Amino acid sequence: MGVFTRPYDTLLDDFQETARPQREWVDGRGLLLIAGHFLSGVGAGGWAFASAFGYLPGEVASVLLLAASGLAHLLFLGRPGRFWRMVKVRTSWVGRGFLGLTLALAAAVAYLALTLATGRDDTAAAGALWTLSLLGAVVVMLYKGNVYAVCRAIPFWNSSLLPILYVAYALRGGVALLLLFLPWWGAGVDQGLLELLELWIGLSAGVCILFYLTIMASASVGARRSVEDLLRGRVAAAFYGGVVALGLVVPLLVGLWNVVTPVSLGLLALVGAASLSGDFYVKYAIAKAGRYLPHVPGAR
Amino acid sequence: MRYGMVIDLKRCFGCYGCQVSCKAEHATPPGVFFARVVKRETGTYPNVRKVYLPMLCMHCEIPPCEAVCPTGATVKRPDGIVDIDRELCVGCRYCMQACPYEARYFNDRARWYFGAQGPTEYEALGYAQHPVGVVMKCNFCAHRLEHGQLPSCVVTCPTKARTFGDLDDPQSEVSRLIKERCGEPLHPELGTGPSVYFLPA
Repeated sequence: MGVFTRPYDTLLDDFQETARPQREWVDGRGLLLIAGHFLSGVGAGGWAFASAFGYLPGEVASVLLLAASGLAHLLFLGRPGRFWRMVKVRTSWVGRGFLGLTLALAAAVAYLALTLATGRDDTAAAGALWTLSLLGAVVVMLYKGNVYAVCRAIPFWNSSLLPILYVAYALRGGVALLLLFLPWWGAGVDQGLLELLELWIGLSAGVCILFYLTIMASASVGARRSVEDLLRGRVAAAFYGGVVALGLVVPLLVGLWNVVTPVSLGLLALVGAASLSGDFYVKYAIAKAGRYLPHVPGAR
Repeated sequence: MRYGMVIDLKRCFGCYGCQVSCKAEHATPPGVFFARVVKRETGTYPNVRKVYLPMLCMHCEIPPCEAVCPTGATVKRPDGIVDIDRELCVGCRYCMQACPYEARYFNDRARWYFGAQGPTEYEALGYAQHPVGVVMKCNFCAHRLEHGQLPSCVVTCPTKARTFGDLDDPQSEVSRLIKERCGEPLHPELGTGPSVYFLPA
């Protein structure tokens, strides 16, 4: 038993005709990939909003998150030293994501260095760097959902709704990141607009998840089993606790309460933290619920 | 030239000979099976039947694993074999998610069969061809084909359930079997164009 890196039941699964769960991108070191996807989404979304608002703490945090996501991705790779080879962008979304992340990070760091050194962000060079960084951030937001969506082998992921969901969560993560900073570095950011954005994107993400699960529940065998895993199976705790309760219910309740009576900055920061937790759990739950197509029709 | 294989499910009786011979030929680490036999029960009690489905890389005409590979490590050779350049693979495992036939394995760390005793001489020699941190898979025993030999699983099969040949040649045995016995690949709806066909049981 000790010689096997995978549990014995996993080995037995290899010889059963069934919709096997994917494990490489979620178990063990696979969690680093989930963390990388989470951090890159929040970093890209955070950069988009913080740089648009000219909010320095958010910009710095976003750059740090993007760098941390790059590190998490690198640590996940079997051969991290070869990362520079991931440039086949013609057909590979991983290649596109790598280049997008590199572009976003490099341009964002250069933009911050330039604006901090000159004290101005209205120069042509700053404008060009900001545009490049935003372009990279958009690619980063887009690539994750598409990485999953092109996998026809895993029916639950093979949906054009997934990139939309991931972009919505990246934008929401960006807003949540800024909300998190409000109690400490709240000056210079439009709090009302942030609250409105958080509520609106949160609602959109909730609706998107509902649509996604509804469609998948009536799709092929593999997708249906994945939905079962989410709703009443091995991923249910992460789905209900992380995605629904922390990620949707808490932010929406506080957001609605805030419409009636303004809540404290601390509570808004809590909403940010809950939203970010939900963002992580969305990525975890979707990856964990992925199951391969059964080899033959009729198998479960 | 496009190498392909036909597997007669009527002849396969689940002896796992292909699986074991492949393991011996490629000296794959524990838990890795380039050729594996998947078993399945059909029907309901008391009319139950056990069906065996030998699986391997399907060497698709349009391999989804090749399209998603970010480094170009997965290549489609002119003879139809889908192979991995181990020096280019970065170990992102995207190809494993894209393969509908689950034919790929990731060699996450050095391991062997006899625990604390360490690798046997055979293992030490064999595992040297499988670098750690990269993905590996069946290559239709390309090293044997170069010497005019058939893939190991084909040679080993005691019931001659496996036939290997050129799918582009209409006179070849594989083309004849596919035509006469209505051979079908797995998941033709995905449009990957597998080079492994199955004859009905």
